[in-house]
Amino acid sequence: MNWPRALLTDSGGFQMVSLLHLADITEKGVTFQSPVDGKPMLLTPEESIQIQNKIGADIIMALDDVVKTTITGPRIEEAMHRTLRWIDRCIAAHKRPHDQNLFGIVQGGLDPVLRDICVRGLVDRNLPGYAIGGLAGGEDKDSFWRVVAQCTATLPEDKPRYVMGVGYPLDIVVCSALGADMYDCVYPTRTARFGTAIVPEGVLKLKHKAMAEDTRPIDPTCACMVCKNYTRAYIHSLVTKDAMGSQLLSFHNLYYMMQLSRNLHSSIVQGKFPKFVCNFLQKMFPKGDIPEWVCNAMEVAEIDISSCCAPFRYIQATKVQSNLNEDEIQAV
Amino acid sequence: MALRFEILGRFNRARAAQLTLPHFVCQTPLFMPVGTQGTIKGLTADQLEEIGCQIILGNTYHLALRPTSELIDELGGLHKFMNWPRALLTDSGGFQMVSLLHLADITEKGVTFQSPVDGKPMLLTPEESIQIQNKIGADIIMALDDVVKTTITGPRIEEAMHRTLRWIDRCIAAHKRPHDQNLFGIVQGGLDPVLRDICVRGLVDRNLPGYAIGGLAGGEDKDSFWRVVAQCTATLPEDKPRYVMGVGYPLDIVVCSALGADMYDCVYPTRTARFGTAIVPEGVLKLKHKAMAEDTRPIDPTCACMVCKNYTRAYIHSLVTKDAMGSQLLSFHNLYYMMQLSRNLHSSIVQGKFPKFVCNFLQKMFPKGDIPEWVCNAMEVAEIDISSCCAPFRYIQATKVQSNLNEDEIQAV
Repeated sequence: MNWPRALLTDSGGFQMVSLLHLADITEKGVTFQSPVDGKPMLLTPEESIQIQNKIGADIIMALDDVVKTTITGPRIEEAMHRTLRWIDRCIAAHKRPHDQNLFGIVQGGLDPVLRDICVRGLVDRNLPGYAIGGLAGGEDKDSFWRVVAQCTATLPEDKPRYVMGVGYPLDIVVCSALGADMYDCVYPTRTARFGTAIVPEGVLKLKHKAMAEDTRPIDPTCACMVCKNYTRAYIHSLVTKDAMGSQLLSFHNLYYMMQLSRNLHSSIVQGKFPKFVCNFLQKMFPKGDIPEWVCNAMEVAEIDISSCCAPFRYIQATKVQSNLNEDEIQAV
Repeated sequence: MALRFEILGRFNRARAAQLTLPHFVCQTPLFMPVGTQGTIKGLTADQLEEIGCQIILGNTYHLALRPTSELIDELGGLHKFMNWPRALLTDSGGFQMVSLLHLADITEKGVTFQSPVDGKPMLLTPEESIQIQNKIGADIIMALDDVVKTTITGPRIEEAMHRTLRWIDRCIAAHKRPHDQNLFGIVQGGLDPVLRDICVRGLVDRNLPGYAIGGLAGGEDKDSFWRVVAQCTATLPEDKPRYVMGVGYPLDIVVCSALGADMYDCVYPTRTARFGTAIVPEGVLKLKHKAMAEDTRPIDPTCACMVCKNYTRAYIHSLVTKDAMGSQLLSFHNLYYMMQLSRNLHSSIVQGKFPKFVCNFLQKMFPKGDIPEWVCNAMEVAEIDISSCCAPFRYIQATKVQSNLNEDEIQAV
């Protein structure tokens, strides 16, 4: 790739479960049909780690038994326990502990008891870092933040915490307030391919007719190459007919996410984190109608956001969110 | 007239010049990438500047449909819209209409066609084409010509040539911005030297800022192709730029430059990139080929471009079969190659080293000395001695019919 900075590889488990409908999970591993030739194949913890050892990333992920948080019942408990049994197989198979960091993944659905068992089990193995898995899969936001809060409260202080599959800028700010450190998501680049830009106010849909004559940059406050060089009108003309439109939006969206990361880091270092959070929320919710789950999470995080909340809070029906939910708050 | 054309060096018929346009000072010979929709597929404006691109071609037909010339005009012209600070050239829209729209019909009025947007009958006249191009604001605009493919024979060719001359007067009359946009006429006449001669004289009479040689690069055999170019460059004015439309392959560009042409455009470099093919000194390299999967060399070890400095054939091979980034990296390399070729043509002519450049170029492409006969013939007329790179015995090759998408190009070893 000629990438001189860090790399992280996932275990391969999630794709197999999410992309291959005929995948089946047993104690051995994940059996699936090879998309190349249809043959039955098996991805075991040992094989996943072996593959990741060959790829050579700085951080590698354990093969875990992932279930969607929208599922209920005994499957969740089974998956959590299997994840703990598999972590030992992953550790045993790991041939390069001196230059590759194996992270364990906390499972357990939305059940605090199961999550607690899993956290303790993984912490016992004294891994270099821990991920909070099984979220960002359609659960309601209120359940989501509570699981993150519980995990960050009980995972070791001195090791990185990685919330997998997150996501929306708002979610990243909340999770950071609760003590998480690392995030990943296809959202910024995927939404770019749908013609959507991430902006401080929320999202901007470049395919919209109103963009056709708008000579402003996507985000006047953004310092990226796209915002410095191109107008909304130009990008609008591209997004409907040329891949360059998606590219420019991907560039901007990723710059946005990198800038968000930098702002989170520096505002915390400089002791200005609450101010940053308030500014962030004010731009996104100018009328002060901050969702209740955010307010609840910030209360637990002990961050005072009352200055950006409207005097009266309305109980909002919380929406089920997915990665491709385009019903995000739109820019005016 | 909104340009200055100053010849800085010559070798026989070949010229190296400085072409000063409203938005940019260019060096010729030069190759213009095609940015159909107001963008070159896969490259940002920054990257185009980085590789040394001087002029980009925009397709009037596509831009007029979306986002429309009125909007472009309202927003300050295509330069501002694309944020391209250098030069732009727009074609007339005529070629797309004929090549893309099977139901197009050409009459004295103009080109009637069915709008691809809503199916309504539409008419593109010389007046309208110029008006649209005036709104888009490019440095060079092209006359609407009556183009016929060179593979056609019969009276249609003569009719089209004469109509092209009648239409140039309508284009000139309709042109509202002669002080900042240069209207080039296009020489038609098929493969018939008599018709071509009439057309050249007719256009030269109109004293235009520059002239294009049109109607080629459409499937004719190479032997006919170079002869038409040679005839036109021999009779067009010395002191004005000559633009061979739709060319093309690096070899064709070198030959046409030897014969006295200055400007070229083609979708080939970017289109062939999207098929996984890189342009290299030896010919082409097909990155999709299995042999590339483990090849850790750059596409071209002699190339200084960002792609060749940073990525291996193996990596690009892994991308071209599954990710648009593969095509993009190849587009970047291929355009860099074309820009470097342009720079080399210009500087070798200025430095009096043109024959040496041509010989090196041909040697790399034909290491066994099996240079195609049409190239040898053209170089003879151009009075460039390439005997040092020709094999002692020349074989008569069946000349192939070439099209823009002909993937049977000479492959790299």
